[in-house]
Amino acid sequence: MSNTAFVPPNVLPPFKLRFAGLLKRKWFREMVLLWPTLTKRRFSNKTEDYGVFKPSLVSHIGQLSIYVRDIARSRAWYEKVAGMIHSRTCELEPHPFKEGWRIRCCYMSATDHEECLVLVEEYDPSGRITVPSGMSFFHFALEVKGNQLEDVLAFAKQQQADGFQLNYGPVRHNSEPPLGDGETGGNVACYLYDPDWHNVEFCGAMDTIENYRERYGELKGKDRA
Amino acid sequence: MNAPTRILVTHLQHHVFYVTDLERSKAFYIKVFDLQFSALNHPDSSAAMRLSQQEMHFFSFGFHHHDICLVKHHKLKMDNNSMLHFTLAVKDAEAFDEIRRRARDMDLPIREGRMLASARPVPRAFCLQDPDRHWIEIIEEPSR
Repeated sequence: MSNTAFVPPNVLPPFKLRFAGLLKRKWFREMVLLWPTLTKRRFSNKTEDYGVFKPSLVSHIGQLSIYVRDIARSRAWYEKVAGMIHSRTCELEPHPFKEGWRIRCCYMSATDHEECLVLVEEYDPSGRITVPSGMSFFHFALEVKGNQLEDVLAFAKQQQADGFQLNYGPVRHNSEPPLGDGETGGNVACYLYDPDWHNVEFCGAMDTIENYRERYGELKGKDRA
Repeated sequence: MNAPTRILVTHLQHHVFYVTDLERSKAFYIKVFDLQFSALNHPDSSAAMRLSQQEMHFFSFGFHHHDICLVKHHKLKMDNNSMLHFTLAVKDAEAFDEIRRRARDMDLPIREGRMLASARPVPRAFCLQDPDRHWIEIIEEPSR
């Protein structure tokens, strides 16, 4: 793909964006889910055993590398919006798995996570830069400093004041009014598209095993719908 | 007058990526990494999923509700052209060895070392691909 005006097919059109806020209204969610409710196909999002996890072999996500069309433009966006810190931008290097292709990597850090995001320009064998398709991932999430509801709300307000449009939120991914959108995780979140239409979530206050138990006790999934 | 303090981000918290077959990928991530299945957002359970024609399976590393999520878009086709790789840092040296043993037992092709030539060195690293050819880098690193 070489069309710089390319918009990935999973990007929400302005029409749908206007309705996204209605997901915070229970009546709207009930209306959308009317058919599975009537046909008795509706079920709880939560697995029955959530909150009784065993540790996995993984500690955390260490790094994510995403394709961008213009490192300078993307770097400026992540610096301005997320307050990320530029660590280094490297010279061209061979693409790790595409013969004859090359990449250039820009490493970005968050306050407590060194080089967690890599912005990658990808060049085909003729030297032409590629355009990211938008169809490898739905979004990735960066945690907002403070990690509380108020911090994410302040973050969202800051972005709007700076002229950046949220594509969704702020919402809380549970069913509790006034922010709950009926989803799962408990995280408070707002979402913005970066210059390549990568969807970036800015979040905080996600459910953990500990605070989830405090809130819901031993309730099973079907009782927490 | 001082400029207002900007609100910063502290770390990469979770990653939500597309797959073509949720059950196949779910089996893979549980079998290789012991990830814990925490939630299922389905068009019959979630208004947002019904509107976006997607289905999401959430997985925890063991503390937060979710750390990675697998998404199937019921109308659009996924590809590997917007993400190069993601990295999973293991709990400890034993976990690194265990993942490597499982990958070998499953006959998964292994690529030695870090994914990006320019990445900072770590004590140990290797890469493998999931069923949708997403590249996953597994690293052992000092605790952050």
